[in-house]
Amino acid sequence: MPSNASPGNRLVRTGGRIRAWLSTPANLILLLFLILLLVLTLYPLITMLLEMFTVHIGREESLTGLNAGEMTLYHFQRLFATAKNNYSRNQFWTPLLNTMAVSVTSSLIAILFGGTVAFLVTRTDMKYKKFVSSVFVFPYIMPSWTLALFWETFFKNVNIGLKTSNGIMASVFGVYAPEWFVYGFFPIALVLGLHYAPFAYILIGGILRNMDANLEEAATILKTRRFRILFRITLPIVRPAMLSTFLLVFASSMSAYSVPVFLGSPVRYYVLSTKMKALMDGTKGQAYIMVGVMILFGAAILLLNQKVTGSRKQFTTVTGKSGQISRIRLGRANRPLALILVILLILVAVVPLFTFALESVIVKAGDYSLSNMTLDFWIGQNLQERLDQGDSTGILLNPKVWSALGFSLGLAAVCALVAGTSGILVGYGVARRRGTRMSNWVNALSFFPYLMPSLAFGAIYLSMSSRIPWLGGFLLLALTGSVKYLPFASRSGVNAMLQLSGEIEEAAVITGVPWYKRMARIIFPIQRSTFLSGYLLPLVSCMRELSLFVLIVPTSNTILTTMLMQYSEKGWAQFGNAINLLIILVVLIINFTVNKLTGASIDKGVGG
Amino acid sequence: MRKLFSCLLVLCLLSVSCLALAEVKDDVEAAAALTHDELVEKAMAESGTLVVAGNTSRIANAAEDFAALYNITVESTNLKDQEIYEKLQSDVIDMVMIQDGANLLAYINKGVLLNYVPASVKDLVKENDQTPALVHQYINKLFIYNNLGDSVPAIRNVWELTDPAMKGRVIFKNPESEKVNMNFLVMLTSPQWCEKLEAAYEAWKGEKADLGDYENIGYKWIAEFLENVTFGKSDTTIAEEVSQETAGGTLGLFVLSKLRSSSVLTDNLTVAQYDASEKGYVLEPFAGFMYPMYSMVSANARRPYTAMLFIEYLMTQEGFAPWGKSIGAYASNTSIPEKEGDLPLSVWKDTLVMEDPVYISENRNDVEDFVQDHLN
Repeated sequence: MPSNASPGNRLVRTGGRIRAWLSTPANLILLLFLILLLVLTLYPLITMLLEMFTVHIGREESLTGLNAGEMTLYHFQRLFATAKNNYSRNQFWTPLLNTMAVSVTSSLIAILFGGTVAFLVTRTDMKYKKFVSSVFVFPYIMPSWTLALFWETFFKNVNIGLKTSNGIMASVFGVYAPEWFVYGFFPIALVLGLHYAPFAYILIGGILRNMDANLEEAATILKTRRFRILFRITLPIVRPAMLSTFLLVFASSMSAYSVPVFLGSPVRYYVLSTKMKALMDGTKGQAYIMVGVMILFGAAILLLNQKVTGSRKQFTTVTGKSGQISRIRLGRANRPLALILVILLILVAVVPLFTFALESVIVKAGDYSLSNMTLDFWIGQNLQERLDQGDSTGILLNPKVWSALGFSLGLAAVCALVAGTSGILVGYGVARRRGTRMSNWVNALSFFPYLMPSLAFGAIYLSMSSRIPWLGGFLLLALTGSVKYLPFASRSGVNAMLQLSGEIEEAAVITGVPWYKRMARIIFPIQRSTFLSGYLLPLVSCMRELSLFVLIVPTSNTILTTMLMQYSEKGWAQFGNAINLLIILVVLIINFTVNKLTGASIDKGVGG
Repeated sequence: MRKLFSCLLVLCLLSVSCLALAEVKDDVEAAAALTHDELVEKAMAESGTLVVAGNTSRIANAAEDFAALYNITVESTNLKDQEIYEKLQSDVIDMVMIQDGANLLAYINKGVLLNYVPASVKDLVKENDQTPALVHQYINKLFIYNNLGDSVPAIRNVWELTDPAMKGRVIFKNPESEKVNMNFLVMLTSPQWCEKLEAAYEAWKGEKADLGDYENIGYKWIAEFLENVTFGKSDTTIAEEVSQETAGGTLGLFVLSKLRSSSVLTDNLTVAQYDASEKGYVLEPFAGFMYPMYSMVSANARRPYTAMLFIEYLMTQEGFAPWGKSIGAYASNTSIPEKEGDLPLSVWKDTLVMEDPVYISENRNDVEDFVQDHLN
């Protein structure tokens, strides 16, 4: 029909279609976030790509014979294919292999440990669950290096590493651990695995907790053996969560810096992140190529993850129907198993806290007698006169500490609010439009900041801010933190929404309840604890973040972590330990308060 | 039309920023002749916050005292060299305190950092400490050993550190993680130090060194020294660890000023050069190394005169106080004496490997490649 096909009509029809498309909240949300994320994540990526080809001021000029700012392929050739002095092997290939070994092993440890504990807590009648559940997330709340430092001070001895002092194991119990146990591959992978095990616990536990037990019960009625049930029903259901854990832990371990420096240096065990940091000083082009390699690996796993969660193998676990979970009876194994777990958790989660407390009250290192102890570093006055070093007052009487604490809390709260809310919205959009190209894009882009090492991410945002006059100070810190921690919130948002069956919203849609009301009255209340953990994870991470903010803070006294770094640079160990403990305690108090007020906590976590 | 407009806008912005850079350069040149009072007057006419960054944590104390003295606001950050350069290129900083002279040279040549020598201290600072960059102070990393037990490594010749018996007993920070450490190794390959290392070898072994495949004797010492070294993660940790009761037989090469930390058991440590000076022998051919900390004005400074006033302040006794109160920091201002109990700068200059930015920037490519192969 000629009249229908006229351009005017077509325009009206297209306009109508666009309007109809935009009137669906999920579409509007996805479009908005697609634009935002393209700017906020692609910009860093493009900057980074350009850095790989650019000659930088200093050594790179003399190495290439070119002027700073010119483009070159030299960095690639040098990093990947320089045989002289075994350059490529030492600087790239061996560290790459080490990184892979560490990241895969730590991911497996995290999944095995976190998954097992999650299973024991959600699906068995194990004792002391409450303790296990709340303490299990401690290692994540503490900066990862604290566990590394603890491992070293606990197991070091005069036969290995620096060969200078004995840790608790050697001096108290006379047990001299071998070198491989204290330094190098094994402890690095183990410490990172333990540090990130809460991811597995949160993700896998979330699924297990909410899983409808009908399938398992049916199998039990059919007299299927327990192992078969575990391998054919339970494991396939938690497989997406296991893969998500693998992705998170792998990417985090790959860019972890402090742990490999603490536990790798004495035995000359290098990974990509340690080499990357060294190369940043003078040979930035090669350092950025390393960042690129890390991102590529992360992206590959992300794709794999996407494939699994994007396929029909995803399970909706929260429906409008009722369901119940059957708990396995552990019988006689119950108490011993629970006790072993409790002791293990006390060792990795509680003892380090006591160590910090102890180190913050002793005057001379290594002397733990009462006469050597003082609360001066916490509440003392006129310290400079008596100690000839450090600040003049203890940290609790120091206004600088309080203002840094206030700033850190404010920053963490804003980042958590922005990232958390964005995460819920992204989750809603992605889940409701699941399978569409836009949904996949937003899902992938919102995870992207996770794959970029913090230091590089901070540096790029700093350079971005130099082109935008109003972007600086608190605003820049908040933007950087919100984008960097969006992945936590978007993961939790997407997982929570994917678990929700569409039917939950349907009745309200049919009766014409507006979208914001459906979100506030139906969706949020059902998945409240998961959503709230989408706020808590960015909050916790932000409170203890250093490398992301180190370049952007106006002064070293602005936030607690840079202040802590400054104290350790000065060698004021006691002040440093006190501030570290303060950070951990503040985070624990927030987690506890939120938990008491709302029932949500980090351990309820991402995905359920 | 729109394209043309945006092109014009970009051009305008670029020329404005270039003009600003040129202005700071002119200001710094003009300020060379200003008296203290004139400098104060100009600085007070500027507005806004003074932003300073330094590879030394004590810059915060100096900045606080300076802010109180002139009633202005100062923001200070403690960053590593590489972070300072990163920040310099994308953020406003007025002045920096920075190490690694070799890298610094490149930034001076590019006009990113500008040298300013206050007229009030010009006569008090040695000429070679005034160019290409003003040295604020010198810092030394020394051979310091644990003095307990039967196997005290009281070395008198650095070749003793290459002896297989010393394997695992020497602790140093990884030269890749702090460039001043790398610079020290690069300096050892210079003709001047090769000559001294040769003489020291002969004094130690009674024969000429067999160089094998090594390019010169500096490379030989580096390779054999690194073979024996264990890397500690920071100078603070190294100081703490070497000072432990159980650390008999070990020796560290670390910053002398770390001895100020209460977590270091100083009674258990002996500074090799202190022992040599006391007993009257010479540590062949060096007792450690020394590098400058420079003070520079940033080309994108918003308060260039205040930045220069701060540099002038740092060069005074009062401004140097945060560093001068402990051993291991030596003012380039010759009127400021070393801390009581320490040795004077002149003695250190004679006994330590001094950083030569020009030699290092010309030779570091080869040496650094060689060094990285011996870090594994």
